[in-house]
Amino acid sequence: MRIKKAASNISEIDLTPLIDIVFQLIAFFMLISNFEQTQADERVKLARDPLAQPPKVARENDLVINAGYFRDDAGNIIPEKVTQEKGPFVFFLGEAVLVPQFARHLATEAKLQRDEGIEPADITVVIRADKEVPTGLVQELIKQSQEAGYAKFALSATQQIE
Amino acid sequence: MKIRARGTPAKIDTQMTPMIDVVFQLLIFFMLTLKIVEPEGDFNINMPIGKPQEAASTLPPIKIRLLADKSTGRLSQLLFDNRQLGNDDRAFNVLNREMQLMVGTPGSGVADELEVEIDADYDLHHEFLIKAVSAVTGELNPVTKQVVRFVEKIKFAPPRRPGGVEGT
Repeated sequence: MRIKKAASNISEIDLTPLIDIVFQLIAFFMLISNFEQTQADERVKLARDPLAQPPKVARENDLVINAGYFRDDAGNIIPEKVTQEKGPFVFFLGEAVLVPQFARHLATEAKLQRDEGIEPADITVVIRADKEVPTGLVQELIKQSQEAGYAKFALSATQQIE
Repeated sequence: MKIRARGTPAKIDTQMTPMIDVVFQLLIFFMLTLKIVEPEGDFNINMPIGKPQEAASTLPPIKIRLLADKSTGRLSQLLFDNRQLGNDDRAFNVLNREMQLMVGTPGSGVADELEVEIDADYDLHHEFLIKAVSAVTGELNPVTKQVVRFVEKIKFAPPRRPGGVEGT
């Protein structure tokens, strides 16, 4: 019997479709990644409203103030671990500051901005307050900001899409 | 001179492995850093420095009062020019309609003149303030999904601190 010599048969995998798909995926993730909201704090649970729409023209200068609570996984408010204070706190530069003590931070921030040549009155203070923060404390934040020289204010809410 | 015959160029095998490595690294990076964030918006508040606005508007401000349940911080009553509207979503809908009637045709110029002053109890949860601000700001056109603005000038009354001391 004649035996055929087996020819070496190295098949090349066509990688083109794989690369196509992978590039599509990269483009998708790049587009939906949100690098803008770096100042937003995840601990703040904003109120929802259908009229809350992002400004049509992005603000050049703004100061974002995150006011909220520490919460457990179930969303219940828990006290701060060290001071056992319940809050609400302003989450600012990695610190949790009680609202009445936040005035000095605002004054420092305004001074730094003046040193950079930006007038605080031209900066919009965006208050991202948790939906359960007492209204009075939001007003205190506005008042403290006014005392530091800020004049424009905006209240943040999550856009409710119906 | 001897000219070499130009043959067909040898096929160069592109090394795909490093590229695929990098591309997968990128893919994993974007997948891990992905954070699905709900879109946020904001409401502008007209609170310039300096007290009563000198001749800012010829019309007196429309007053909206929000009363809070002291124990829960929830809304107990919404007052529009001293008229009780209730404490649920319907109250905000009525407020929205009243504002619409007051403004008339959007863009008529009345909206530029009108100013709303919201006077809320100190302990009221912020979400109710946002609802009130939203109700006076405008409405969402159900067809175009565009916001029809009623009032641009919204300000807050001085905070009513517990103990009856009003802020300045």
